[in-house]
Amino acid sequence: MPEYFAGIDIGSTMTKAVILSDRIIAFVIGPTGPEQRRLADKVMEELLDKADLPLKALTYIISTGYGRINVPFADKQVTEISCHAKGVVFLFPGARTIIDIGGQDSKGITIDATGRTTNFIMNDKCAAGSGRFVEVIADSLGIDLDRVGDISIQSNSPAQISNICTIWAQQEVAARLAEGTPVPDLLAGVHRSLADRVVRMVKRLKILPDVIFTGGGAKNKGLVQALEEYLDAKILVPPEPLITGALGAALLGKEIFHRAVSKNQLLETKPRRLETIQIL
Amino acid sequence: MAEEQRKPKKRMTATKAAASIGPMVKEFITGTNRARAEGKRKLAYTFIVCHHEEILRAMDVLPVWTENFAGICGVKRAAERFLQKAESLGFSRSLCTYALCGLGFDQWREELGEMPPDAPWGGQARPDFMISSGQILCDPRTKWYQAAQQFMPDVPIYNIDLPHPLFDPKKDHREVWGYYHKYIVDQLRGLVSFVEEQTGKKMDYDRLRELVALSDRTWNLVHETYELRQAVPCPMGTGDAMNTMVPLCFMMATQEAYDFYVNLKQELEEKIARGEGEVEDEKYRLLWGGGLPAWYALNDFNYLNSKGASFPAETTYRMVVPIYEMDIPETDDPIEHIAWKWLGYWTHWYDKARNRPGSEPDVERLIEYIENYKIDGVVMHLAFSCRTWHVGLIWQLHQLAKIYRPIPVLMLGGNGKGDKVQRELPSLILESDIIDITSYSEMDTRNKIDAFIETLESVRQTKAA
Repeated sequence: MPEYFAGIDIGSTMTKAVILSDRIIAFVIGPTGPEQRRLADKVMEELLDKADLPLKALTYIISTGYGRINVPFADKQVTEISCHAKGVVFLFPGARTIIDIGGQDSKGITIDATGRTTNFIMNDKCAAGSGRFVEVIADSLGIDLDRVGDISIQSNSPAQISNICTIWAQQEVAARLAEGTPVPDLLAGVHRSLADRVVRMVKRLKILPDVIFTGGGAKNKGLVQALEEYLDAKILVPPEPLITGALGAALLGKEIFHRAVSKNQLLETKPRRLETIQIL
Repeated sequence: MAEEQRKPKKRMTATKAAASIGPMVKEFITGTNRARAEGKRKLAYTFIVCHHEEILRAMDVLPVWTENFAGICGVKRAAERFLQKAESLGFSRSLCTYALCGLGFDQWREELGEMPPDAPWGGQARPDFMISSGQILCDPRTKWYQAAQQFMPDVPIYNIDLPHPLFDPKKDHREVWGYYHKYIVDQLRGLVSFVEEQTGKKMDYDRLRELVALSDRTWNLVHETYELRQAVPCPMGTGDAMNTMVPLCFMMATQEAYDFYVNLKQELEEKIARGEGEVEDEKYRLLWGGGLPAWYALNDFNYLNSKGASFPAETTYRMVVPIYEMDIPETDDPIEHIAWKWLGYWTHWYDKARNRPGSEPDVERLIEYIENYKIDGVVMHLAFSCRTWHVGLIWQLHQLAKIYRPIPVLMLGGNGKGDKVQRELPSLILESDIIDITSYSEMDTRNKIDAFIETLESVRQTKAA
């Protein structure tokens, strides 16, 4: 009988879920939204539909991310740091450093060959160090977030964005736009500003290659380019950079389950029942 | 993201000694208010770690520790209204929040002519004079009382300058410390004259000599007591040490302080004999590698304890090295001895740093604790408003990573071949403030702690494998 393992990563902006056996069976990505944190079951339903599996087929489920405690059917909670590490080394066995830029935070993680975390650093204090920075600027320029990367890499002369606060940077961008600075230069400047801040944080760790970039920020080509410039290193990006946390959670579940089996230990699991927690 | 200003849960202590500190602090704060009302003793605003307690106590001056009062406001989550008061006076929130809290409180008290409503533990008594000292470390300590004079123009200030030779890997500090000693002695004698003038009393040098000797004995005892924490499991952690530092920092040159450490030492010896640790099942031994704590969030130590993490050592507030380990000249003059003790403490790790190319004294201190206390990871707290000390912490971690090489670990790589790696000592950097609770989020802090514990566990599993 095949074994299936699920990981669900409830981030501040996006919810990601993965089902795994000996390979990735299915994954889904959707917005967390103000109430979605409490509605993890909806995401799981969608994931099970996609995998064509019933909930009871899942052997072990791990939740991760900021909303990990709000997943009643998860058998275990693990922080996103450990899950990203595990997921990334599965995709890139040579990975030793991870940079993750999410919607509300950014992190640097150093890992060993087995995917174990050796050190980490997080910024969760300031929007200017997270994907929110780019989101706010894109919004104020009326540009779809998916397009900002492609537009910014057309720049030959990135603007200097000197404000370190998202709100003031938004004003600065508006002023530069009024002065006639081209949009690609403005966006390239915004990416450089974010990359500079994140690299300064991550440099507190011992950065070793391969450097892998994950999170929503990794879908932005302009940000990848800026990070490579500030790190002075080649950066690798997974095919779907948002799911590494959920993938790592599923992999950890598999590891935990097999360890328990090899030691003949009983592993506690939650009832396989989806329940919506009403908060309003 | 700011934590709401709800009443904090009481932090559980591992030792009876630490539990006894709250009433002790309350007593010395209310004691200063009683003394103010009686008018028999002079009160002086001042700062800890200035090596002048013996002088003050020998002349019956009662110190009012202004940083301590700000810390109490932080612990009780009552600082915000004093911070806001200071902001309304034009002081920036990015200044030292101890100073802001004190300035807000002082202005309010002076404006009302009585203590502000619901002042923690009866409030901070008005001083007769103020003794500032920025040492060479902390400029708010020099400027704070100057700013406070706006509200208390009749209260005089005396500033003592307490420098020490800066570390130079190519020079022996002893070549120049004689000059520093002469300067510090002059500063301290100037303080004696100032206090004589303020109190109308002459210094009793025999009494001063006795109090200096008592302080020396207490220093040695604190060191010996804290060294007991090398035991596995560790009988007392940093959470408790944030309490047990009180007699060392605020009550030196008193018999009460000495007796406190006699009792603490005995308590720790008994716990060690019973094999009793700070946590029931000690899994990880952590070093508090610097930074003042977030006083309103001391419960985070309990949270770490609940994950099996114990803190056998900390650099914060452990401002002693045993007198017998200091290479300082002997003298019968108590003022000269205080000055040598100052220099001996601040240069204590210089020789070690010189002997390890590329090292620095602060890093040597971390290495010493990491080795002696069998440390698995380092936790630091960056308090945004304390730039004088906290900005150096990340640099210290960088230096530590460059200089300190833990034992190499043989690991199996993805290719199945043996792979020798230098294992980093995991570190956790917490970021908030000493008393400004608006900079703190319990959820984010505990998320970081959870991730750190998982990191420590993964390192432990690799070592075991």
